[in-house]
Amino acid sequence: MGEVYLESRLEFLRANQNPDGGWSYFPGKGSWLEPTTYAMLALHGRGDDPALDRAWKLVRSWQLRDGSFRPSGEVQDGTWVTALAVTLASIRGVHDSSVRAAVDYLLQVVGAEHNVYTRVGSFFHLIKANLDVSHEGWPWRAGNASWIEPTAHTLIALRKVGGGYRSAEVERRVQDGEQLILSRRCTDGGWNYGTPNMLYVDLPSFPETTGLALLGLDGVANPAIGPALDVARQFRRETKSSLGRAWLQIALRCHGREVAMPAETAYTSHDVMLAALEALGHPEGNYKLFTGERL
Amino acid sequence: MTRRKFALLSGAAAVGAYASIKLQKPPEAPKLGVGPAGKSAVAIIRVKSYSDDLVCGMLEGIRQCGLNIRGKRILLKPNLVEFDPATVINTNAAVIAAAVEVFERLGAAEVRIGEGPGHRRDTLDMADDARYRATIPRFESVFTDLNRDDVSPVKGFAGEREFYFPNSVLGADLIVSLAKMKTHHWAGATLSMKNFFGVVPGSVYGWPKNKLHYYGIPESIVALNRQFGSKSFAIVDGVVGMEGNGPIQGTPKPVGVLVMGSDLVAVDSTCCRVMGINPEKISYLRMASDLGHLRPERIEQRGETIASVQTNFALIDDYKDLRLV
Repeated sequence: MGEVYLESRLEFLRANQNPDGGWSYFPGKGSWLEPTTYAMLALHGRGDDPALDRAWKLVRSWQLRDGSFRPSGEVQDGTWVTALAVTLASIRGVHDSSVRAAVDYLLQVVGAEHNVYTRVGSFFHLIKANLDVSHEGWPWRAGNASWIEPTAHTLIALRKVGGGYRSAEVERRVQDGEQLILSRRCTDGGWNYGTPNMLYVDLPSFPETTGLALLGLDGVANPAIGPALDVARQFRRETKSSLGRAWLQIALRCHGREVAMPAETAYTSHDVMLAALEALGHPEGNYKLFTGERL
Repeated sequence: MTRRKFALLSGAAAVGAYASIKLQKPPEAPKLGVGPAGKSAVAIIRVKSYSDDLVCGMLEGIRQCGLNIRGKRILLKPNLVEFDPATVINTNAAVIAAAVEVFERLGAAEVRIGEGPGHRRDTLDMADDARYRATIPRFESVFTDLNRDDVSPVKGFAGEREFYFPNSVLGADLIVSLAKMKTHHWAGATLSMKNFFGVVPGSVYGWPKNKLHYYGIPESIVALNRQFGSKSFAIVDGVVGMEGNGPIQGTPKPVGVLVMGSDLVAVDSTCCRVMGINPEKISYLRMASDLGHLRPERIEQRGETIASVQTNFALIDDYKDLRLV
């Protein structure tokens, strides 16, 4: 079942691993942590251990002294990709001091809108948007505002951490992060990047961020989830975005929803990240790696 | 509090305003600088529709501006914002295809296209939806998603010790801002200078590129143009622009022009006048007045006159005072 679809994507990933062990966004370019993570997840448990070991060695080399991870060898600052590295560590069963440092880093980072000035401004309606700024969430980069995608990835990472790193603070941040995602839901039932309303005008949701938000809400019991999954199914049928469809397939499967088999088509794109996400979202793909035990 | 005052307070875009509110007094309007020596040439070329001979029009505009292209590596930077083929959000594919042909014909060593949309990650499918792949020959082989290109550091940009830009941008000899002529609900107008937001890589700064909101939208526009303006040329797609609540939710506005030039401040000022907007009231243009010319007496208008193509773009209520009188 689905051999051409899945195998062509996995083979594309195997054929395009860089000599340094990582994967680039597009073949022939430098390695980045994001496509490397998704490629590693897609190939996990499929007999590619030496290749994945090399990739993991590269990822670990990108950790900074403050515990964060750099998004590539060239970039010297730690970013949201720290969450992806923590997820990888958990999946690989790595529980050492460097992972603890990464978890501690994630716990220190909060969305910059969660400061006293913005909350006071919100209280006095100085912010012309129906937005709840009481939650902390996670930004793309420390010092910036929180957004759906980095928050969702950090929730996935923190739900998976083990080895004694789970703490009351981890639990609090996870629950608060889930509340942030719920509070940023668009009126159409899905999610955009994280601003459902601006100048009191409702903004539309997008497929890819709806998929990611639903992954961030994996295991959450809330009346909003059911209708959001219906929106996700509709998006998946109608969207022109391959990336959106890929995240929606993963999210819907993680939430136990039936998803139609993708057409038996070989992979023709050059987008490495997309190949990995499409492989992950296949019925026989590793989509369950995005789920985590409830705290 | 008006929308503009709020924007000044927040220094933020629609995608991040709530996130970067700064509870402080709005800064005073920057003083208008004298600008560089001499005058800047800006060509207004009349093009009635996208099925007109855009190549001929662009060749004429480039000739009028005296741009030398031979042997240069060119990066065409369109404005690709959103999945929506039915409207005028994105730079029209026919304009990009014509630019590829023009720059190749004029002896460029290489012509590539690059864009890094601000809040959608699926750049290639958006390009498909905007008919770029169908219209532009060899699109796949000449296009770079600037959000996911390899990057290199630049020192001292936007208050950062190091700021990262795509190698495709840093390596180009000439960046051609193929912008769309649109109103903008935070900046007043989005033209060739604002189009440079798309060279900031999402892989480093996220979607939206929130770092720019914190630095300030006008400040970021000016900083980007300070960084790249000296190796830039502008071709603004005003064949059909967008008026009202731009840059996404506005309505189509046929103007029938391409506006071109090497001085992006002068090009955008000219576009503003075509749109019935006073460029001296656009914050980022005032702030960039040391980079190029705003004042009409310092701009050598070539091709059509402004008066012959001028058509007032509808402005949202909070921007009514931008109207050129």
